[in-house]
Amino acid sequence: MDKVVACQTCGLVQEVDDVPFGAVVKCARCNFQILHRRVGSRARTLAFTIAAGILYFPSNLYPLITAEYQGQYAQTTVLKGIQTLWGMGQYFIACLVFCTSILTPALKILGLLFITLTLHWPRYQKTRAWMYKVIRVIDPWNMLEVFLLAIGVSMVEMGEVATVHPGRGVFSFAAVVVLTLLATLTFDPRLLWDTPKKRYE
Amino acid sequence: MEARKSQKNGMNDTVHHLPKAKIQKDPLAWFFWALPVAAAMLCAWFILHDFVFAGPTITIYFQDAQGLQEQNSMLRYRGIRVGNVTSLKLARDGQMVVVRVKLEHSAANIARQGSLFWIVRPQLKLGEVSGLQTIVSGSYIAVQPGDGVRTNVFTAIAEAPIVPVPGITITLLANNLDSLENQSGIFYRGVQVGEVTGLQLGQNSRFVVVQARIRQEYAPLVRDNSEFWNAGGINAHVGLFSGLQISAESAATLVSGGIAFATPENYGAAATNGTVFSLNEKPDPKWQNWNPAIPLGQTPQASKTNNAMPQISPQINQMNQ
Repeated sequence: MDKVVACQTCGLVQEVDDVPFGAVVKCARCNFQILHRRVGSRARTLAFTIAAGILYFPSNLYPLITAEYQGQYAQTTVLKGIQTLWGMGQYFIACLVFCTSILTPALKILGLLFITLTLHWPRYQKTRAWMYKVIRVIDPWNMLEVFLLAIGVSMVEMGEVATVHPGRGVFSFAAVVVLTLLATLTFDPRLLWDTPKKRYE
Repeated sequence: MEARKSQKNGMNDTVHHLPKAKIQKDPLAWFFWALPVAAAMLCAWFILHDFVFAGPTITIYFQDAQGLQEQNSMLRYRGIRVGNVTSLKLARDGQMVVVRVKLEHSAANIARQGSLFWIVRPQLKLGEVSGLQTIVSGSYIAVQPGDGVRTNVFTAIAEAPIVPVPGITITLLANNLDSLENQSGIFYRGVQVGEVTGLQLGQNSRFVVVQARIRQEYAPLVRDNSEFWNAGGINAHVGLFSGLQISAESAATLVSGGIAFATPENYGAAATNGTVFSLNEKPDPKWQNWNPAIPLGQTPQASKTNNAMPQISPQINQMNQ
C-alpha cells in the first residue's frame, strides 16, 4: 500500500511503504521522523495503561505520608485522608479529592484498557468512541492530582515541625499520574475509526 | 542528490518517481513494555516486604489501656519505635483489653517469653516525676525483652518493672506503714543506699512486711545489729529548755517517706539476702551517734560528695571571675 506524505519539517513529498511494527519512518532528505501516525500508539498506550493499573493499587493502599511528631506516629492513605475530610465536614473537598485521586484514574485506566484491548473488534466501535470522549472530559480533572502531589511535597518540606517521610504510596501515586498522562498522550484517536483493512498502529 | 532529481522529475512525471522515505528499526519499540514489568516488580517488592520481611504481630493483654490510640501509639524500646499498635479491642469476657502490635522486622526478637510490656504515661507522684514527654506525645508501650522461646501472646504489667540493680534484699517488719510507699528511699547518714521494693501486710495482719533492696556497693553497711527507723515526715520535739526542735531526714522523705538506719561500732556480721529487721517508729538518739568505720567494697561516686566539695568550689570561683 503506497502512500504519499509530505515531511512536516522540510516539506519534501515522498512515498511511504508499509511500515512493520517496531519501525519508524524518516524523511529521505532531512532525516526527521515523519509523524504520519503516532508510532506504536496502541502498544505504547497499552503498556502505559497496564503499568498505571498495576501501580494504582499500591498508590491507594499504602500510606502517602508517614508523620512522626514528638512520638506520635501517623500514617495517611488517600482513603483515610478523604475520611478525615468528610469527618471534618469538608464534604465538597472530600468529594473533589475522591473524584480526582480515586475515581478518575480508575475510569481512565479502565477506559484506555477497554479501548486498546478491543481495538480490533468490529463491535463496540461506538462504545470506544464514547469512552474516549469520557476520558477527554475527565482529563483536565485528572490534573488536580498533580496539585495534590504538590501539596504532598510541601508537607514533606514541613520537616522542621514534624518528621514527615513520604510513604510508599506517594511514589506509586506520582507514577500513576505520570503514566496515565503519557497513556492519553500516546493514544492516537484516529485508531478509533480505522477500518480493519486499514490499520496504522 | 537523488531526492533533488526526483523532485525535478516530479514536476512532469507521475508519483512513481517520488523519493522513498527511509524505514528504520525503532529500538525503543519494545522499551515501553519495560514499564509494566517494572511496575509489577515494584508491586512484588512491596508484597514481599509486607508479607515475607514483615515483623510478627503480637497480642498483648492489658488490664487498662488508657492513653493508647489505634494506629498512632507505638511500641518503643531503647528510645526508638519498634512497633505500632494496630488495633485495640475489648477481650471477649470484658476483663482485658486486647492490643495488637505489629513489630518491625528488626525487632522480631522482642517477641519472646518473659518479655515485659507496660504503658508509659505521665506520672506526677510526690517526690517523683516521670514520663513527662508523654504529656505531649501520648502514651506508648515500653518493653523489656525476655529471653525465652518465641511467642506472640503476652500479658502486660501495670507499671514499669523495677530495674534490677545488684544488691541484697532485706525484710523489715513495721507496726505501721506511715508514709512509706514503693520506691521510698533507704538512707544511711542521709545518703540513699537503697529503696523499698515491696509492701504487704504480714501473715496474721499484726505487722507490715516491707521488702527493701540495698545496693551492692552499700551492702556492707547493713549488719546483723543495725537499727532501722522510719524517717518519713517530721520529727518534732518540744522541750522546756530546748524549745521546738524539728528534724527531717531529707526533703524527699518529707513527701514520699523513707527509712534510715544506723550500725553500731561493734558491728556484727554483714546482712544477707532475706535478713529480717524490725522497723522502729522513732530513732533512739543513741543510734544517731554511732559512728562505725565500715570499708565499702567499691567506693561509689555518691560517697565522695563530701571530698569533692572543696575541689568544685575553686572552679565556681573561676567561673565567676
